[in-house]
Amino acid sequence: MFTVGFREFKSLFTSIRSILIIVVLFGVTAGTAKLVRQFEAPLHELGLGNDAYAMGLMLLLILAASLFVTGLSHNIVNKEIDTRTIRFLATKTSRRNIIIGKFIGSFLFWAICITVALLLIIPFSKSFSMLTLVQSIIFVSYFIGLTLFLSTIIPKPSLSMFLGIIISIALPVLGLWSSGTDNLFVKVIGYVTPYFYYLQEEDSYYYSYFVVLFPILFILLSLVIFRKRDL
Amino acid sequence: MTALQTNQLTKKYGKKTVVDSVNLHIPQGTIFGFLGKNGAGKSTLINMVTGLIKPSSGSFEVLGQPEKRLESIQKEIGVLPDYSTFYDDLTAFSHLNYFQKLLKQSLSKQEIIRVLSQVGLEDAVHVKVKKFSFGMKKKLGIAQSIIHQPKLLFLDEPTSGVDANAVLNIHSLIKEIAARGTTIFLTSHNLNEVEKLCDEIAIMNKGRIQTQGTMKQLREQYQQDIVVHIHHRSLSEKEQTQLKISLTELAVKIEIGGDASEIIVQSSELIPQVNKQFVRQDIDVFGLEMEQPSLEEIFLNLE
Repeated sequence: MFTVGFREFKSLFTSIRSILIIVVLFGVTAGTAKLVRQFEAPLHELGLGNDAYAMGLMLLLILAASLFVTGLSHNIVNKEIDTRTIRFLATKTSRRNIIIGKFIGSFLFWAICITVALLLIIPFSKSFSMLTLVQSIIFVSYFIGLTLFLSTIIPKPSLSMFLGIIISIALPVLGLWSSGTDNLFVKVIGYVTPYFYYLQEEDSYYYSYFVVLFPILFILLSLVIFRKRDL
Repeated sequence: MTALQTNQLTKKYGKKTVVDSVNLHIPQGTIFGFLGKNGAGKSTLINMVTGLIKPSSGSFEVLGQPEKRLESIQKEIGVLPDYSTFYDDLTAFSHLNYFQKLLKQSLSKQEIIRVLSQVGLEDAVHVKVKKFSFGMKKKLGIAQSIIHQPKLLFLDEPTSGVDANAVLNIHSLIKEIAARGTTIFLTSHNLNEVEKLCDEIAIMNKGRIQTQGTMKQLREQYQQDIVVHIHHRSLSEKEQTQLKISLTELAVKIEIGGDASEIIVQSSELIPQVNKQFVRQDIDVFGLEMEQPSLEEIFLNLE
Protein backbone atom coordinates (compact mmCIF):
# COMPACT_ATOMS: atom_id res chain seq x y z
CA MET A 1 0.00 0.00 0.00
CA PHE A 2 2.93 2.35 0.65
CA THR A 3 4.16 1.80 -2.92
CA VAL A 4 0.77 2.90 -4.26
CA GLY A 5 0.67 5.72 -1.70
CA PHE A 6 4.14 6.97 -2.59
CA ARG A 7 3.33 6.92 -6.31
CA GLU A 8 0.12 8.89 -5.66
CA PHE A 9 1.95 11.36 -3.45
CA LYS A 10 4.74 11.80 -5.98
CA SER A 11 2.39 12.33 -8.88
CA LEU A 12 0.50 15.00 -6.90
CA PHE A 13 3.65 16.65 -5.61
CA THR A 14 5.72 16.72 -8.77
CA SER A 15 3.06 18.65 -10.63
CA ILE A 16 2.71 22.41 -10.63
CA ARG A 17 -0.47 21.90 -8.60
CA SER A 18 1.33 21.39 -5.31
CA ILE A 19 3.21 24.67 -5.63
CA LEU A 20 -0.03 26.45 -6.53
CA ILE A 21 -1.81 24.90 -3.55
CA ILE A 22 0.95 26.02 -1.15
CA VAL A 23 0.99 29.51 -2.68
CA VAL A 24 -2.80 29.77 -2.40
CA LEU A 25 -2.83 28.42 1.17
CA PHE A 26 -0.06 30.77 2.20
CA GLY A 27 -1.30 33.80 0.28
CA VAL A 28 -4.94 33.51 1.26
CA THR A 29 -4.09 32.69 4.88
CA ALA A 30 -1.87 35.76 5.14
CA GLY A 31 -4.45 37.91 3.34
CA THR A 32 -7.36 36.59 5.35
CA ALA A 33 -5.44 37.12 8.56
CA LYS A 34 -5.49 40.88 7.91
CA LEU A 35 -9.24 40.77 7.46
CA VAL A 36 -9.77 38.42 10.37
CA ARG A 37 -8.05 40.86 12.72
CA GLN A 38 -10.84 43.34 12.03
CA PHE A 39 -13.56 40.74 12.82
CA GLU A 40 -11.76 38.79 15.51
CA ALA A 41 -14.50 39.18 18.15
CA PRO A 42 -17.50 37.90 16.09
CA LEU A 43 -15.43 35.05 14.65
CA HIS A 44 -14.27 34.13 18.12
CA GLU A 45 -17.91 33.83 19.12
CA LEU A 46 -18.36 31.36 16.26
CA GLY A 47 -15.60 29.24 17.79
CA LEU A 48 -12.94 30.01 15.18
CA GLY A 49 -10.08 30.56 17.60
CA ASN A 50 -7.88 33.43 18.73
CA ASP A 51 -4.94 33.44 16.35
CA ALA A 52 -5.72 35.52 13.26
CA TYR A 53 -3.43 33.49 11.02
CA ALA A 54 -4.80 30.21 12.31
CA MET A 55 -8.29 31.58 11.79
CA GLY A 56 -7.32 32.67 8.30
CA LEU A 57 -6.22 29.19 7.39
CA MET A 58 -9.25 27.56 8.98
CA LEU A 59 -11.57 30.00 7.23
CA LEU A 60 -9.96 29.24 3.91
CA LEU A 61 -10.21 25.51 4.53
CA ILE A 62 -13.80 25.71 5.72
CA LEU A 63 -14.84 27.57 2.62
CA ALA A 64 -12.61 26.06 -0.02
CA ALA A 65 -10.98 22.78 1.16
CA SER A 66 -13.74 20.74 -0.44
CA LEU A 67 -13.15 22.44 -3.77
CA PHE A 68 -9.36 22.16 -3.52
CA VAL A 69 -9.46 18.46 -2.74
CA THR A 70 -12.12 17.70 -5.32
CA GLY A 71 -10.24 19.64 -7.98
CA LEU A 72 -7.06 17.67 -7.35
CA SER A 73 -8.29 14.23 -6.41
CA HIS A 74 -11.75 13.72 -7.91
CA ASN A 75 -10.28 11.04 -10.22
CA ILE A 76 -7.96 9.40 -7.71
CA VAL A 77 -9.39 5.93 -8.41
CA ASN A 78 -11.60 6.16 -11.47
CA LYS A 79 -8.87 7.64 -13.68
CA GLU A 80 -6.96 4.38 -13.28
CA ILE A 81 -10.12 2.44 -14.09
CA ASP A 82 -10.89 4.67 -17.07
CA THR A 83 -7.38 4.39 -18.54
CA ARG A 84 -7.22 0.74 -17.44
CA THR A 85 -3.87 1.19 -15.69
CA ILE A 86 -5.73 -0.30 -12.72
CA ARG A 87 -5.32 -3.68 -14.40
CA PHE A 88 -1.58 -3.52 -13.83
CA LEU A 89 -2.10 -2.62 -10.18
CA ALA A 90 -4.91 -5.05 -9.40
CA THR A 91 -2.95 -8.00 -10.76
CA LYS A 92 0.07 -7.10 -8.62
CA THR A 93 -1.32 -5.99 -5.31
CA SER A 94 -4.53 -6.36 -3.34
CA ARG A 95 -7.47 -4.06 -3.87
CA ARG A 96 -7.22 -3.07 -0.20
CA ASN A 97 -3.66 -1.87 -0.78
CA ILE A 98 -4.77 0.19 -3.76
CA ILE A 99 -7.55 2.00 -1.89
CA ILE A 100 -5.61 2.60 1.32
CA GLY A 101 -2.49 3.50 -0.68
CA LYS A 102 -4.41 6.09 -2.68
CA PHE A 103 -5.74 7.62 0.53
CA ILE A 104 -2.31 7.68 2.16
CA GLY A 105 -0.75 9.36 -0.89
CA SER A 106 -3.36 12.08 -1.06
CA PHE A 107 -3.39 12.53 2.72
CA LEU A 108 0.39 12.96 2.81
CA PHE A 109 0.24 15.50 0.00
CA TRP A 110 -2.29 17.65 1.83
CA ALA A 111 -0.61 17.23 5.20
CA ILE A 112 2.66 18.49 3.73
CA CYS A 113 1.00 21.34 1.84
CA ILE A 114 -0.75 22.57 5.00
CA THR A 115 2.39 22.13 7.10
CA VAL A 116 4.51 24.07 4.59
CA ALA A 117 1.89 26.84 4.40
CA LEU A 118 1.82 27.10 8.21
CA LEU A 119 5.63 27.12 8.37
CA LEU A 120 5.77 29.90 5.79
CA ILE A 121 3.42 31.97 7.97
CA ILE A 122 5.66 31.72 11.06
CA PRO A 123 7.65 34.90 10.22
CA PHE A 124 4.36 36.84 10.30
CA SER A 125 2.47 35.05 13.05
CA LYS A 126 5.58 34.48 15.22
CA SER A 127 4.06 31.20 16.32
CA PHE A 128 3.31 27.71 15.10
CA SER A 129 -0.02 26.27 16.12
CA MET A 130 0.15 22.49 16.32
CA LEU A 131 -3.56 22.41 17.13
CA THR A 132 -4.41 24.31 13.94
CA LEU A 133 -2.19 21.96 11.94
CA VAL A 134 -3.84 18.83 13.35
CA GLN A 135 -7.34 20.26 13.00
CA SER A 136 -6.67 21.42 9.44
CA ILE A 137 -5.34 18.01 8.43
CA ILE A 138 -8.32 16.25 10.01
CA PHE A 139 -10.67 18.65 8.25
CA VAL A 140 -9.04 18.06 4.87
CA SER A 141 -8.94 14.30 5.44
CA TYR A 142 -12.75 14.32 5.50
CA PHE A 143 -12.75 15.56 1.91
CA ILE A 144 -9.92 13.23 0.85
CA GLY A 145 -12.03 10.33 2.10
CA LEU A 146 -15.11 11.72 0.39
CA THR A 147 -13.38 12.17 -2.99
CA LEU A 148 -11.87 8.69 -2.68
CA PHE A 149 -15.36 7.31 -2.09
CA LEU A 150 -16.88 9.31 -4.96
CA SER A 151 -14.07 8.30 -7.27
CA THR A 152 -14.69 4.65 -6.38
CA ILE A 153 -18.44 4.65 -6.93
CA ILE A 154 -18.47 6.89 -10.01
CA PRO A 155 -16.77 5.21 -12.97
CA LYS A 156 -16.20 8.29 -15.17
CA PRO A 157 -13.71 11.00 -14.11
CA SER A 158 -15.77 13.70 -15.86
CA LEU A 159 -18.84 12.73 -13.84
CA SER A 160 -16.93 12.55 -10.56
CA MET A 161 -15.50 16.03 -11.31
CA PHE A 162 -18.99 17.39 -11.95
CA LEU A 163 -20.62 15.76 -8.93
CA GLY A 164 -17.55 16.51 -6.79
CA ILE A 165 -17.83 20.23 -7.53
CA ILE A 166 -21.57 20.26 -6.79
CA ILE A 167 -21.02 18.39 -3.52
CA SER A 168 -18.07 20.57 -2.56
CA ILE A 169 -20.20 23.69 -3.01
CA ALA A 170 -23.27 22.19 -1.35
CA LEU A 171 -21.47 20.75 1.69
CA PRO A 172 -20.07 24.04 3.07
CA VAL A 173 -23.39 25.77 2.39
CA LEU A 174 -25.40 23.04 4.14
CA GLY A 175 -22.80 22.63 6.86
CA LEU A 176 -22.72 26.33 7.71
CA TRP A 177 -26.48 26.66 7.32
CA SER A 178 -27.05 23.75 9.69
CA SER A 179 -25.24 25.59 12.47
CA GLY A 180 -27.80 28.38 12.46
CA THR A 181 -31.12 26.80 11.54
CA ASP A 182 -33.86 24.80 13.18
CA ASN A 183 -34.69 22.99 9.93
CA LEU A 184 -34.46 19.32 10.94
CA PHE A 185 -33.37 18.08 7.50
CA VAL A 186 -30.53 20.59 7.25
CA LYS A 187 -29.53 19.91 10.85
CA VAL A 188 -29.29 16.16 10.19
CA ILE A 189 -27.16 16.77 7.12
CA GLY A 190 -25.01 19.05 9.24
CA TYR A 191 -24.02 16.11 11.44
CA VAL A 192 -22.46 14.30 8.51
CA THR A 193 -20.41 17.30 7.43
CA PRO A 194 -17.27 18.36 9.30
CA TYR A 195 -18.67 21.87 9.76
CA PHE A 196 -20.93 20.93 12.67
CA TYR A 197 -17.92 19.66 14.61
CA TYR A 198 -15.68 22.59 13.71
CA LEU A 199 -18.19 25.28 14.58
CA GLN A 200 -18.56 24.28 18.22
CA GLU A 201 -17.50 26.53 21.08
CA GLU A 202 -13.73 27.00 21.26
CA ASP A 203 -13.46 25.02 24.49
CA SER A 204 -15.19 22.12 22.71
CA TYR A 205 -12.45 21.88 20.05
CA TYR A 206 -12.15 18.15 20.74
CA TYR A 207 -15.38 17.76 18.72
CA SER A 208 -13.24 18.15 15.64
CA TYR A 209 -11.49 14.85 16.43
CA PHE A 210 -14.77 13.04 15.80
CA VAL A 211 -14.34 14.01 12.16
CA VAL A 212 -11.56 11.39 11.92
CA LEU A 213 -14.31 8.76 11.87
CA PHE A 214 -15.65 10.01 8.55
CA PRO A 215 -12.57 9.33 6.39
CA ILE A 216 -12.32 5.91 8.05
CA LEU A 217 -15.94 5.27 7.11
CA PHE A 218 -15.35 6.52 3.55
CA ILE A 219 -12.30 4.24 3.19
CA LEU A 220 -14.26 1.23 4.46
CA LEU A 221 -17.15 1.93 2.10
CA SER A 222 -14.72 2.41 -0.81
CA LEU A 223 -13.05 -0.89 0.06
CA VAL A 224 -16.34 -2.79 0.12
CA ILE A 225 -17.38 -1.35 -3.25
CA PHE A 226 -13.94 -1.66 -4.87
CA ARG A 227 -13.59 -5.31 -3.87
CA LYS A 228 -16.81 -6.18 -5.70
CA ARG A 229 -16.04 -4.04 -8.72
CA ASP A 230 -15.16 -5.33 -12.18
CA LEU A 231 -12.01 -3.56 -13.31
CA MET B 1 -0.39 -29.84 -10.66
CA THR B 2 -2.98 -27.95 -12.66
CA ALA B 3 -2.05 -24.40 -13.63
CA LEU B 4 -5.62 -23.37 -14.31
CA GLN B 5 -8.91 -25.12 -13.89
CA THR B 6 -12.33 -23.62 -14.49
CA ASN B 7 -15.64 -25.23 -13.60
CA GLN B 8 -18.76 -23.98 -15.35
CA LEU B 9 -17.26 -20.49 -15.31
CA THR B 10 -19.82 -17.97 -16.50
CA LYS B 11 -19.97 -14.22 -16.90
CA LYS B 12 -23.15 -12.36 -17.71
CA TYR B 13 -23.64 -8.67 -18.36
CA GLY B 14 -27.36 -8.13 -17.90
CA LYS B 15 -29.05 -10.70 -20.10
CA LYS B 16 -25.99 -11.19 -22.29
CA THR B 17 -23.83 -14.20 -21.50
CA VAL B 18 -20.27 -13.38 -22.49
CA VAL B 19 -18.62 -16.51 -21.07
CA ASP B 20 -20.89 -19.52 -20.86
CA SER B 21 -20.13 -22.47 -18.56
CA VAL B 22 -16.48 -22.82 -19.53
CA ASN B 23 -14.57 -25.84 -18.29
CA LEU B 24 -10.84 -25.69 -18.82
CA HIS B 25 -8.03 -27.80 -17.49
CA ILE B 26 -4.54 -26.54 -18.23
CA PRO B 27 -1.64 -28.63 -16.93
CA GLN B 28 1.49 -26.89 -15.70
CA GLY B 29 4.31 -26.36 -18.15
CA THR B 30 2.20 -26.09 -21.29
CA ILE B 31 1.73 -23.28 -23.75
CA PHE B 32 -2.02 -23.11 -24.06
CA GLY B 33 -3.44 -21.28 -27.06
CA PHE B 34 -6.82 -19.65 -26.79
CA LEU B 35 -8.46 -18.72 -30.04
CA GLY B 36 -11.65 -16.96 -30.92
CA LYS B 37 -13.07 -14.12 -32.90
CA ASN B 38 -13.44 -10.62 -31.44
CA GLY B 39 -16.13 -10.73 -28.79
CA ALA B 40 -15.86 -14.50 -28.33
CA GLY B 41 -15.18 -13.99 -24.62
CA LYS B 42 -11.42 -14.70 -24.49
CA SER B 43 -10.40 -11.52 -22.68
CA THR B 44 -13.37 -11.75 -20.30
CA LEU B 45 -12.24 -15.25 -19.35
CA ILE B 46 -8.66 -14.05 -18.73
CA ASN B 47 -9.96 -11.09 -16.72
CA MET B 48 -12.00 -13.45 -14.54
CA VAL B 49 -9.21 -15.89 -13.78
CA THR B 50 -6.78 -13.05 -13.05
CA GLY B 51 -9.20 -11.48 -10.58
CA LEU B 52 -10.01 -8.36 -12.56
CA ILE B 53 -13.68 -9.17 -12.97
CA LYS B 54 -15.99 -11.30 -10.88
CA PRO B 55 -17.63 -14.40 -12.36
CA SER B 56 -21.42 -14.50 -12.40
CA SER B 57 -21.30 -18.21 -11.55
CA GLY B 58 -18.94 -21.15 -11.58
CA SER B 59 -15.55 -21.39 -10.00
CA PHE B 60 -11.88 -21.58 -10.88
CA GLU B 61 -8.54 -22.49 -9.41
CA VAL B 62 -5.23 -20.90 -10.32
CA LEU B 63 -2.08 -22.83 -9.37
CA GLY B 64 -4.22 -24.86 -7.01
CA GLN B 65 -5.69 -21.83 -5.25
CA PRO B 66 -9.40 -20.92 -5.36
CA GLU B 67 -10.66 -17.51 -6.48
CA LYS B 68 -10.84 -16.05 -2.96
CA ARG B 69 -7.14 -16.75 -2.40
CA LEU B 70 -6.06 -15.28 -5.73
CA GLU B 71 -4.47 -12.20 -4.14
CA SER B 72 -2.15 -14.44 -2.16
CA ILE B 73 -0.55 -15.84 -5.35
CA GLN B 74 -0.28 -12.62 -7.34
CA LYS B 75 3.52 -12.93 -7.28
CA GLU B 76 3.23 -16.18 -9.20
CA ILE B 77 1.03 -14.84 -11.97
CA GLY B 78 2.00 -12.54 -14.81
CA VAL B 79 -0.65 -10.77 -16.85
CA LEU B 80 -0.49 -8.89 -20.13
CA PRO B 81 -3.98 -7.39 -20.42
CA ASP B 82 -5.64 -6.97 -23.80
CA TYR B 83 -5.43 -3.20 -23.55
CA SER B 84 -2.09 -1.76 -22.47
CA THR B 85 -2.10 1.83 -21.30
CA PHE B 86 0.54 3.16 -18.99
CA TYR B 87 1.35 6.25 -16.96
CA ASP B 88 2.44 8.93 -19.41
CA ASP B 89 4.68 10.63 -16.87
CA LEU B 90 6.77 7.52 -16.18
CA THR B 91 9.62 6.02 -18.20
CA ALA B 92 9.80 2.34 -19.13
CA PHE B 93 12.30 1.85 -16.30
CA SER B 94 10.12 3.67 -13.74
CA HIS B 95 7.14 1.54 -14.73
CA LEU B 96 8.97 -1.71 -14.13
CA ASN B 97 10.47 -0.34 -10.94
CA TYR B 98 7.01 0.62 -9.69
CA PHE B 99 5.49 -2.73 -10.66
CA GLN B 100 8.30 -4.78 -9.13
CA LYS B 101 7.85 -2.89 -5.86
CA LEU B 102 4.12 -3.65 -5.95
CA LEU B 103 5.08 -7.30 -6.30
CA LYS B 104 7.50 -6.92 -3.38
CA GLN B 105 10.47 -7.87 -5.55
CA SER B 106 13.91 -6.38 -5.12
CA LEU B 107 15.35 -6.26 -8.62
CA SER B 108 18.47 -4.23 -9.22
CA LYS B 109 18.67 -1.51 -11.87
CA GLN B 110 20.63 -3.88 -14.14
CA GLU B 111 18.02 -6.61 -13.76
CA ILE B 112 15.22 -4.24 -14.74
CA ILE B 113 17.21 -3.09 -17.78
CA ARG B 114 17.84 -6.74 -18.70
CA VAL B 115 14.07 -7.42 -18.74
CA LEU B 116 13.54 -4.37 -20.94
CA SER B 117 16.29 -5.62 -23.27
CA GLN B 118 14.60 -9.01 -23.48
CA VAL B 119 11.57 -7.39 -25.07
CA GLY B 120 13.63 -5.08 -27.28
CA LEU B 121 13.24 -1.87 -25.30
CA GLU B 122 16.94 -1.44 -24.48
CA ASP B 123 17.01 1.90 -26.34
CA ALA B 124 13.94 3.24 -24.57
CA VAL B 125 14.81 2.48 -20.94
CA HIS B 126 14.62 6.11 -19.84
CA VAL B 127 12.08 7.35 -22.38
CA LYS B 128 8.71 8.49 -21.06
CA VAL B 129 5.85 6.25 -22.14
CA LYS B 130 3.94 9.16 -23.70
CA LYS B 131 6.53 9.02 -26.50
CA PHE B 132 6.03 5.27 -27.04
CA SER B 133 4.41 3.78 -30.11
CA PHE B 134 1.66 1.16 -29.76
CA GLY B 135 4.16 -1.62 -30.40
CA MET B 136 6.55 -0.29 -27.76
CA LYS B 137 3.73 -0.17 -25.23
CA LYS B 138 2.92 -3.77 -26.06
CA LYS B 139 6.56 -4.71 -25.42
CA LEU B 140 6.49 -2.86 -22.09
CA GLY B 141 3.29 -4.75 -21.29
CA ILE B 142 5.11 -8.03 -21.86
CA ALA B 143 8.08 -6.83 -19.79
CA GLN B 144 5.86 -6.00 -16.81
CA SER B 145 4.21 -9.41 -17.04
CA ILE B 146 7.50 -11.32 -16.82
CA ILE B 147 9.53 -9.12 -14.48
CA HIS B 148 8.86 -11.40 -11.49
CA GLN B 149 9.34 -14.67 -13.41
CA PRO B 150 5.80 -15.93 -12.83
CA LYS B 151 4.77 -19.58 -12.78
CA LEU B 152 1.70 -18.81 -14.87
CA LEU B 153 1.70 -16.17 -17.57
CA PHE B 154 -1.41 -14.81 -19.28
CA LEU B 155 -0.65 -13.12 -22.58
CA ASP B 156 -3.62 -11.51 -24.25
CA GLU B 157 -2.72 -10.79 -27.88
CA PRO B 158 1.02 -10.30 -27.22
CA THR B 159 1.96 -9.63 -30.83
CA SER B 160 -0.93 -7.55 -32.12
CA GLY B 161 0.31 -4.22 -33.45
CA VAL B 162 3.96 -5.26 -33.23
CA ASP B 163 6.34 -5.23 -36.22
CA ALA B 164 7.48 -8.47 -37.86
CA ASN B 165 10.96 -8.51 -36.29
CA ALA B 166 9.54 -7.92 -32.86
CA VAL B 167 7.02 -10.71 -33.39
CA LEU B 168 9.89 -13.15 -33.95
CA ASN B 169 11.63 -11.88 -30.80
CA ILE B 170 8.44 -12.25 -28.79
CA HIS B 171 7.98 -15.79 -30.09
CA SER B 172 11.54 -16.67 -29.03
CA LEU B 173 10.92 -15.08 -25.65
CA ILE B 174 7.70 -17.06 -25.16
CA LYS B 175 9.54 -20.30 -25.99
CA GLU B 176 12.38 -19.34 -23.63
CA ILE B 177 9.96 -18.59 -20.79
CA ALA B 178 8.07 -21.84 -21.41
CA ALA B 179 11.35 -23.76 -21.38
CA ARG B 180 11.87 -22.55 -17.80
CA GLY B 181 8.65 -24.35 -16.85
CA THR B 182 6.27 -21.40 -16.92
CA THR B 183 2.76 -22.22 -18.04
CA ILE B 184 1.65 -19.80 -20.72
CA PHE B 185 -1.94 -18.97 -21.55
CA LEU B 186 -1.86 -17.22 -24.89
CA THR B 187 -4.71 -15.64 -26.80
CA SER B 188 -4.15 -14.53 -30.33
CA HIS B 189 -5.86 -13.69 -33.57
CA ASN B 190 -2.78 -14.96 -35.37
CA LEU B 191 -3.58 -18.60 -36.02
CA ASN B 192 -0.11 -19.38 -37.35
CA GLU B 193 1.37 -18.05 -34.14
CA VAL B 194 -0.83 -20.30 -32.01
CA GLU B 195 -0.14 -23.27 -34.26
CA LYS B 196 3.60 -22.63 -34.06
CA LEU B 197 3.87 -22.00 -30.31
CA CYS B 198 1.14 -23.88 -28.49
CA ASP B 199 1.04 -27.41 -27.13
CA GLU B 200 -2.70 -27.33 -26.65
CA ILE B 201 -5.42 -25.17 -28.13
CA ALA B 202 -8.98 -24.23 -27.26
CA ILE B 203 -11.28 -22.44 -29.63
CA MET B 204 -13.94 -20.22 -28.14
CA ASN B 205 -17.05 -19.08 -29.93
CA LYS B 206 -19.93 -17.06 -28.50
CA GLY B 207 -18.69 -17.57 -24.95
CA ARG B 208 -18.37 -21.34 -25.18
CA ILE B 209 -15.37 -23.60 -25.72
CA GLN B 210 -16.11 -25.13 -29.07
CA THR B 211 -13.19 -27.48 -29.23
CA GLN B 212 -10.02 -28.20 -27.28
CA GLY B 213 -7.01 -30.41 -27.77
CA THR B 214 -3.51 -30.68 -29.19
CA MET B 215 -2.95 -29.73 -32.84
CA LYS B 216 -2.85 -33.44 -33.69
CA GLN B 217 -6.15 -34.09 -31.94
CA LEU B 218 -7.79 -31.11 -33.60
CA ARG B 219 -6.53 -32.23 -37.00
CA GLU B 220 -7.92 -35.69 -36.48
CA GLN B 221 -11.18 -34.27 -35.23
CA TYR B 222 -11.60 -31.84 -38.07
CA GLN B 223 -9.68 -33.66 -40.76
CA GLN B 224 -11.64 -33.77 -43.94
CA ASP B 225 -10.32 -35.11 -47.24
CA ILE B 226 -6.55 -35.36 -47.48
CA VAL B 227 -4.84 -33.93 -50.52
CA VAL B 228 -1.76 -35.94 -51.58
CA HIS B 229 0.74 -34.36 -53.99
CA ILE B 230 2.92 -36.94 -55.78
CA HIS B 231 5.96 -36.07 -57.88
CA HIS B 232 6.93 -38.88 -60.24
CA ARG B 233 8.73 -39.63 -63.51
CA SER B 234 7.09 -38.52 -66.74
CA LEU B 235 4.14 -40.68 -67.69
CA SER B 236 2.85 -41.51 -71.12
CA GLU B 237 -0.86 -40.99 -71.80
CA LYS B 238 -1.40 -44.76 -71.63
CA GLU B 239 0.30 -44.96 -68.20
CA GLN B 240 -1.76 -42.02 -66.98
CA THR B 241 -5.01 -43.75 -67.98
CA GLN B 242 -3.98 -47.04 -66.36
CA LEU B 243 -2.97 -45.30 -63.14
CA LYS B 244 -6.24 -43.40 -63.01
CA ILE B 245 -8.23 -46.63 -63.34
CA SER B 246 -6.19 -48.34 -60.61
CA LEU B 247 -6.80 -45.45 -58.19
CA THR B 248 -10.52 -45.06 -58.82
CA GLU B 249 -11.58 -47.12 -55.83
CA LEU B 250 -9.10 -45.47 -53.44
CA ALA B 251 -9.47 -41.80 -54.22
CA VAL B 252 -12.25 -39.27 -54.22
CA LYS B 253 -10.59 -37.16 -56.86
CA ILE B 254 -7.72 -38.01 -59.19
CA GLU B 255 -5.73 -35.62 -61.32
CA ILE B 256 -2.86 -37.37 -63.08
CA GLY B 257 -0.34 -35.09 -64.74
CA GLY B 258 2.77 -35.65 -66.79
CA ASP B 259 5.23 -35.61 -63.85
CA ALA B 260 3.01 -34.70 -60.87
CA SER B 261 -0.38 -35.84 -59.66
CA GLU B 262 -2.88 -34.70 -57.08
CA ILE B 263 -4.98 -37.34 -55.41
CA ILE B 264 -7.62 -36.72 -52.77
CA VAL B 265 -8.30 -39.53 -50.29
CA GLN B 266 -10.68 -39.70 -47.35
CA SER B 267 -8.28 -41.25 -44.85
CA SER B 268 -4.54 -41.16 -44.24
CA GLU B 269 -4.60 -44.97 -44.11
CA LEU B 270 -5.25 -45.03 -47.87
CA ILE B 271 -2.04 -43.19 -48.74
CA PRO B 272 0.25 -46.29 -48.59
CA GLN B 273 -2.19 -48.08 -50.91
CA VAL B 274 -2.04 -45.17 -53.35
CA ASN B 275 1.75 -45.41 -53.25
CA LYS B 276 1.54 -49.17 -53.91
CA GLN B 277 -0.37 -48.54 -57.14
CA PHE B 278 2.47 -46.35 -58.38
CA VAL B 279 5.04 -49.01 -57.45
CA ARG B 280 2.94 -51.80 -59.02
CA GLN B 281 2.96 -49.92 -62.34
CA ASP B 282 6.69 -49.35 -62.08
CA ILE B 283 6.39 -45.58 -61.71
CA ASP B 284 9.27 -43.95 -59.81
CA VAL B 285 7.95 -41.66 -57.07
CA PHE B 286 10.29 -38.75 -56.24
CA GLY B 287 8.20 -37.18 -53.54
CA LEU B 288 4.93 -37.43 -51.71
CA GLU B 289 3.41 -34.58 -49.74
CA MET B 290 0.34 -34.72 -47.61
CA GLU B 291 -1.61 -31.50 -47.22
CA GLN B 292 -2.93 -31.25 -43.67
CA PRO B 293 -5.60 -28.80 -42.57
CA SER B 294 -4.09 -25.74 -40.94
CA LEU B 295 -5.45 -24.30 -37.73
CA GLU B 296 -7.00 -21.61 -39.86
CA GLU B 297 -8.95 -24.22 -41.84
CA ILE B 298 -10.06 -25.93 -38.64
CA PHE B 299 -11.04 -22.55 -37.21
CA LEU B 300 -13.01 -21.65 -40.32
CA ASN B 301 -14.72 -25.04 -40.32
CA LEU B 302 -16.08 -24.25 -36.88
CA GLU B 303 -17.80 -21.09 -38.06
